[in-house]
Amino acid sequence: MAKILAALAGTPNVGKSTLFNRITGGDVHVANWPGVTLQRAEGKTVHHGIEINIVDLPGTYSLSARDIGERVARDFIVRKKPDVLVVVVDATSLKKSLYFAVMALELYTRVVIALNMIDAADKRGIHIDVDGMEAKLGVPIVPISALKGIGIGVLLDRTLDVAQGIKTRKELLKVNYNGLEPYIYKIEKILKNENALNHYPRIWTAIRLFEGDEVIVEELREEKPELLPKIEALKEKARLELGEDLGRLAISSRYSFIDDITKSSVIEVRLAAPSFSEKLDRLMLHPLLGPIISAFVILITFFLIFAINTGFPLNLLLEYAGYKELASLVEEYSLSGILGSAFDLLSSGIKAWMTSIGYSGWTVGLLADGIIDSLGTLISFVPLLLLAYIFLGAMQDSGLFPRAAVSFDSLFRKFGLSGKAFFPAALGMGCSVAAVTSTRAMDDDRERRVTAMTSPLIPCQARLLVLLTIASAVSSDPLSQSALTIFIYVLSFILYLLTSNLLNKLVFKIEYAPDLLMELPPYHRPSLRVVWWYARSNTEHFLRKAGLLILGLGIVTWFLLNFGSLGYLSGDIANSFAAYIGNILSPITSLIGLPDWRYALAFEVGFVAKEGLLITFSSVTGVSDPVEALRVIGLTPLKGVSMALAMSYYVPCMATVAALITELRVGRYVLLTILMELMIAFVLAATAYWTGLMLGFT
Amino acid sequence: MDHNQGLVPLSIMRSGQRGRIITLNVGRGQARRLMEMGLLPGEIVDILSNSAGPIIIRVRDVTLALGRNIASRIWIEAM
Repeated sequence: MAKILAALAGTPNVGKSTLFNRITGGDVHVANWPGVTLQRAEGKTVHHGIEINIVDLPGTYSLSARDIGERVARDFIVRKKPDVLVVVVDATSLKKSLYFAVMALELYTRVVIALNMIDAADKRGIHIDVDGMEAKLGVPIVPISALKGIGIGVLLDRTLDVAQGIKTRKELLKVNYNGLEPYIYKIEKILKNENALNHYPRIWTAIRLFEGDEVIVEELREEKPELLPKIEALKEKARLELGEDLGRLAISSRYSFIDDITKSSVIEVRLAAPSFSEKLDRLMLHPLLGPIISAFVILITFFLIFAINTGFPLNLLLEYAGYKELASLVEEYSLSGILGSAFDLLSSGIKAWMTSIGYSGWTVGLLADGIIDSLGTLISFVPLLLLAYIFLGAMQDSGLFPRAAVSFDSLFRKFGLSGKAFFPAALGMGCSVAAVTSTRAMDDDRERRVTAMTSPLIPCQARLLVLLTIASAVSSDPLSQSALTIFIYVLSFILYLLTSNLLNKLVFKIEYAPDLLMELPPYHRPSLRVVWWYARSNTEHFLRKAGLLILGLGIVTWFLLNFGSLGYLSGDIANSFAAYIGNILSPITSLIGLPDWRYALAFEVGFVAKEGLLITFSSVTGVSDPVEALRVIGLTPLKGVSMALAMSYYVPCMATVAALITELRVGRYVLLTILMELMIAFVLAATAYWTGLMLGFT
Repeated sequence: MDHNQGLVPLSIMRSGQRGRIITLNVGRGQARRLMEMGLLPGEIVDILSNSAGPIIIRVRDVTLALGRNIASRIWIEAM
């Protein structure tokens, strides 16, 4: 089958992901761009018997290579030379989104423009003369609605046309640069004579040099450093003659070119009534109501996620209202409850079957307890992650997230963070791995690092499960159970802000929070396809990356728990290597009121995954219900509080450590994060314990 | 200051006001980023909301949230 390579490009918020998803049908491979932590999605479709491979380029405002995304997008176009570059623009804001298209047309000829959200433009009274625009830009323009699936077939037809050289531009687009032209040609000639920077189109390179493109200047310095003074002299001459900053001249010339197009091709019948977006924004961006509404929306969302995954807080509410049986049903039929019992069944079934066909001893244990249980842990991550990502995807796609960031900006600013630091914090309640990876979206590099290091302090759903078990073990009153849980969460947000502030000041030496500069796209109903795809591909990405690690560590943990100096122990954990390590660590845990080696052991296992903590208590006591197991071990309310504090704030799990390693890429920051978490957990738990003792608790 | 006569920083404009951008008093890199997002000298901005926190403006059919620090460096001629 004939194959072509297409790249999808455009500014953020023009519906690029929706289109990518619509074309590829979600059959997508997600990886990172080489050397950077930017996600690269690739997919394919077959149209008229031709396989179209599509690479989704990072969404950027221009192709100036000022940040990683712009650089990745530009390098891909220049070096991989895709058969077609599909540029997505937003029909409802052409004055803005055409800027990227103009930059793309100055760099590349084989372009198709997807005029997205044409349905929304129609509704708002925006009429676009597509033929007129095509004539001006010289490339096919196809009105589409990626959300509703309108015009996709035609877009693919034109994509194939352009790939075959039909209807394509013969040369690059020329913008009127208002007097800069003679200088552009002079530099072009120099580059031509000297054979410099041949992999770029020459005129384009000349313009970029006038704009002071640092990447191009750097490449020229490496290739032909002797040309730089000549070019600098020409730039200076042009600046003097034109009396203007050349970067500004270039950008404003492109915008004037766009204004010419929109003036003749776009007619807007202004609607008198304020749009839904404007009305909603009056609430969402209100200085007082905004943060309250944002917080409320997020609380409700997490209420739902938690209830589906763990039963909490629905079970406590029901219990409080006196419906005990209903409460335990909710717990049992929560996703984690169902998965837990399914894996229990599987593991005991395998045990029985293996014993019946004559296997015994450690092989049965390794398979049933070691491997199957680790798989269970891995699978138990799936709903937690999936739901957290669905939530994030929907909030992002609907336009709610940027508003929330705006409304939290004032508060966060006091701690050296911008409102964008709200994203990882909110996501952290779902899963710390998701929180750490979401920091990629930050445009300030130092803020990205700081929030990656501090967002794991916010308890994830796995820690919520453990927290609830501890709370139920030390109290049967749903009110005090909720009080402990809420206290841990509130404290975690305070810790998030305080530690971020400390890291900013002590480690990264930042004086001021980065200033917010963010587009607020119009609200719209999130596309289920995009949200589902986003959640699925991110979860798969995580499973691929961390799956083997978790399985491997699970087996190691099983070995430590089941083997000792005497060999295979068949259940006698007290003599295991793990117990031995636990004994070494117990002097430390005794400082927080948990002197038993079994607590130390549980914290060891809790490093693999927080649910492991509960499993350990069940294994060492032989009581399968973890709440009962904690009571058997003798957890008093004071010890419970201490344990809750230590458990919630120490290293969340090895998957998070893996995520920190890939996102931070600096060993000492990862180490610092782990140390910080251990210290916070220890200090808080010890303080609570000793204060409690002095107040007369035991 | 003479050369700023009639000009005010964007940060002190009130909700509902409209103005024309005259200069961007920021570093070169920041200025180009702002310009590429549509905040060019000569453009007309509508102030949608300005109270505590970021200022919300509309320019070239796009709604933007701007931190107060950047906003105080963008000089506007009120219309």
